[in-house]
Amino acid sequence: MDHDLIKKELSKTNKVILCAVIGIILVVVPHLMPNNYWLRIYAMTGLFVMLALGLNVVAGFAGLLDLAYVAFFGIGGYTFAFLSSNHFDIHLPFLLVLPLSALITMGFGFALGASSIRLKGDYLAIVTLAFAQIFKLLLLNLDRPINITGGVNGIYNFDPISIFGLKMISPVAYSYLIWFIAIIVIIGSFRIKKSRFGRGWEAIREDELAAEVMGVNTTRMKLMAFAGGSFIAGASGTLFASFQDSVFPNNFDFPQLVVVYCMVILGGLGNIVGVILGAILLSILPEFLREYGAYRMMSYGLILIVLMALRPKGILGGIEFLTKEKRRQDKDETGLLRASTDLYYSEGDLLEQNEKPRYTRSDRPILELKKVAMNFGGLMAVNNLSLRLREKEILSIIGPNGSGKTTVFNLISGIYPPSFGSIFFEGTDITGLKPHLVAKAGIARTFQNLRLFSNMSVLDNAKVGQFCRTKSGPLSILFHLPLHKEEETETEKIAEEILSLFGARLTGYRFNQNAMFLSFANRRRLEIARAMSTNAKLLMLDEPSAGMNPQETIEMTNFIKKLRDSHGYTILVIEHKLNVVKTISDRVMALDYGSKIAEGSYDEVANQKQVIEAYLGRKRN
Amino acid sequence: MDIYLQQLPQQLVNGLTIGGVYALIAIGYTMVYGILSMLNFAHGEVYMMGGFAGWWVLHLLSRENVPIVNAGLVISLMIIISMAVTGLLGMGIERFAYRPLRKAPRMNLLLSALGVSIFLQNIVLNYQGAKARFFHVSSLIPEGIRVFQIGNVVFSFLRILVVVVAFLLMALLTVIVKKTKVGKAMRATAQDTEAAMFMGIDVDRIIVLVFLIGSALGGAAGTLVGLLFTQVDYYVGFQAGLKGFTAAVLGGIGNIFGAMMGGIILGLVESLATTFFPATYKDVVAFVILIIVLIFRPWGLMGEKIPEKV
Repeated sequence: MDHDLIKKELSKTNKVILCAVIGIILVVVPHLMPNNYWLRIYAMTGLFVMLALGLNVVAGFAGLLDLAYVAFFGIGGYTFAFLSSNHFDIHLPFLLVLPLSALITMGFGFALGASSIRLKGDYLAIVTLAFAQIFKLLLLNLDRPINITGGVNGIYNFDPISIFGLKMISPVAYSYLIWFIAIIVIIGSFRIKKSRFGRGWEAIREDELAAEVMGVNTTRMKLMAFAGGSFIAGASGTLFASFQDSVFPNNFDFPQLVVVYCMVILGGLGNIVGVILGAILLSILPEFLREYGAYRMMSYGLILIVLMALRPKGILGGIEFLTKEKRRQDKDETGLLRASTDLYYSEGDLLEQNEKPRYTRSDRPILELKKVAMNFGGLMAVNNLSLRLREKEILSIIGPNGSGKTTVFNLISGIYPPSFGSIFFEGTDITGLKPHLVAKAGIARTFQNLRLFSNMSVLDNAKVGQFCRTKSGPLSILFHLPLHKEEETETEKIAEEILSLFGARLTGYRFNQNAMFLSFANRRRLEIARAMSTNAKLLMLDEPSAGMNPQETIEMTNFIKKLRDSHGYTILVIEHKLNVVKTISDRVMALDYGSKIAEGSYDEVANQKQVIEAYLGRKRN
Repeated sequence: MDIYLQQLPQQLVNGLTIGGVYALIAIGYTMVYGILSMLNFAHGEVYMMGGFAGWWVLHLLSRENVPIVNAGLVISLMIIISMAVTGLLGMGIERFAYRPLRKAPRMNLLLSALGVSIFLQNIVLNYQGAKARFFHVSSLIPEGIRVFQIGNVVFSFLRILVVVVAFLLMALLTVIVKKTKVGKAMRATAQDTEAAMFMGIDVDRIIVLVFLIGSALGGAAGTLVGLLFTQVDYYVGFQAGLKGFTAAVLGGIGNIFGAMMGGIILGLVESLATTFFPATYKDVVAFVILIIVLIFRPWGLMGEKIPEKV
């Protein structure tokens, strides 16, 4: 979020000046280095910036604790060693080897990702750690019976690289080359962060299940993170191998991984500027502390512990001094705190009560459940449930706690496949589809216990909904192709439009506020806005008014009605407040012990004996 | 094939011994996971510290590699002191590295654990050096009973000792967890921390206790392996930790009995694998097993899959 703010603050001219200054620094610095030793450190710093930014894609953006990262660095290095030396007598030109080894490494990253992607946090960490260990053991032992990796002695003496006939031998040339590529990686990082990919990853990091249900293909996005990270690692490995003119198993061992992790964490996971600074700091600082060299790794361990306890967002985390926002946005000019109700009422009532509804329910079915059942290890949470929902209808599901209402939502949205039965949406079978595909088909939901992306801004929360409606890939994002630009404009437009339906509660300064700072009621509203921005036809609202006071409940009731009457959504709603149910529903369905016990108009259902008994118990005779 | 069959009983015995040790390490992982749902990366280092503590006791009580007091006393002291040291260490780790993060995202906790692991490893590297320390065990056991042979199978006295101690400790733990009031509190906390808190259980104390017990068992394993393979260095925790974790996962993480079984299974598989693969690939086999189990049965060989609560 802070990058966005920083960026907005920088005007066009400032940007040009910034680029010029950085450019001049990069041209001049190599010539200012006192000797070759410092020149090497300068070049290595560039390499570490690349490496750290690559890890930042996997661990920072997507939140995947990939402990095999250093193995990918190694694969890049060894690929160069194989393809550009006397070792196998293969001598490919550098400009071919660099992309080739990055792609090969990406292939390995893809393979590891594909096999381990279903695993969560700790398990993923362990599998990747085991992979890195296997990689190292293979490097050490594959010198017999045939010499492939050179064992502990590694491989050395590579072809000198030349680019367009220009021989790169001097350290100055190397530092230009490395920093040139590092700058490309930096620009790419910024671009990818501010795109649908960046938002998709961030959503996964915040709440994977919610991301999937909102239409983010989480499996694919995590694979993309693995692939992207290992691509950069592979390229860095190649540059490193060529620069060092040798590769050894030790170059790609666990301590190296820890160093890169410390850089990323010091800078703050996902914070690009921070990660760059972290990499620079930890590349240069040890040189000044050489006499304490023995304590270096020890202090890396301490850095991790202390940072996690005290500054989990890194050294730059939470510092927003660059944004110069002095006045608190929720205060007016006189410094008084503006109440959110004031904001709301100043916008006027959202619903013109007497206006004739533009949409009413039709007779065409939109969603059909056919004898759906869900069995949780013997407990029938939903039992033989059939339901036909009509287009632009508002249907409420009521029932006591544990009667299977939320399970019905989970089944429809694809969180679990039903044990029996099938589900049709607009005539197509969606039974067992993954949640993101259900979202793409046009069904979106909210969660009873609120699963917003808390550390993302209100606007970004809504933008995530558009993920499944956009399709720019990595190339169009990295090169800012027209497709990406159009989709970004469109996404922004839709998100702002939908949020503005909620008046000042979710718009204005709130756009850039993180979801975690919203009031409870506003979080419920944002959940609905997020679901709407998937361009859904069917909205499933799980207790939209739970925890709201009477005033807010009335407002929510009107809003739900308006969603159908003026916006034409079909709505399935779980609600406990019966006055809400009475006001909004075309039809009501009552569940008890997973079975349907009543269906019909509110009055029919509310007066049915079985329903009353389910809520209040049977009268003793 | 005949050669393999001849080696089989010996490999079974070896596998059982090392399996007992893996089981002890796995218990530490599984107990912490059961209660905090976190992977205690530092557990391998706790094991390594246990090995060093055992070595240090042996070193103090020996002159020119011959123990100066009764050998039985030396071995008991080695085990008891290493358990005490690592138990305290585990409590300290919990207090300073994990407790401040209990409400933080899981990834932060993992990274902190990684930090502890690196920190401990490098403390030992700085003060002990990279060279291995040797357990001079040959003089500990009287000549006559050092080795037995039944048929083709060789039993060393130390091997038997390791198995017996490992299984005694596991039996003791089982009794504590199943029969005592504290054990009941532990099980309750593992099931539902909040509910346990409301029932008047001091959850913080239970967590500390879990770290104490788990780490002490890990420390005992460190000393037992030291006695068995006669050396310890600063890096042993890394591999042993991964092995212990593999065992815990095999048995279904969070399940103490499963961890015991997982350890023994892993030990047996590993030693049988050495009959078919070069010894350098022994670890590769273990890690491949780990990866395969995590990918296809992350809930363990015996456990049951539990769907995520929404």
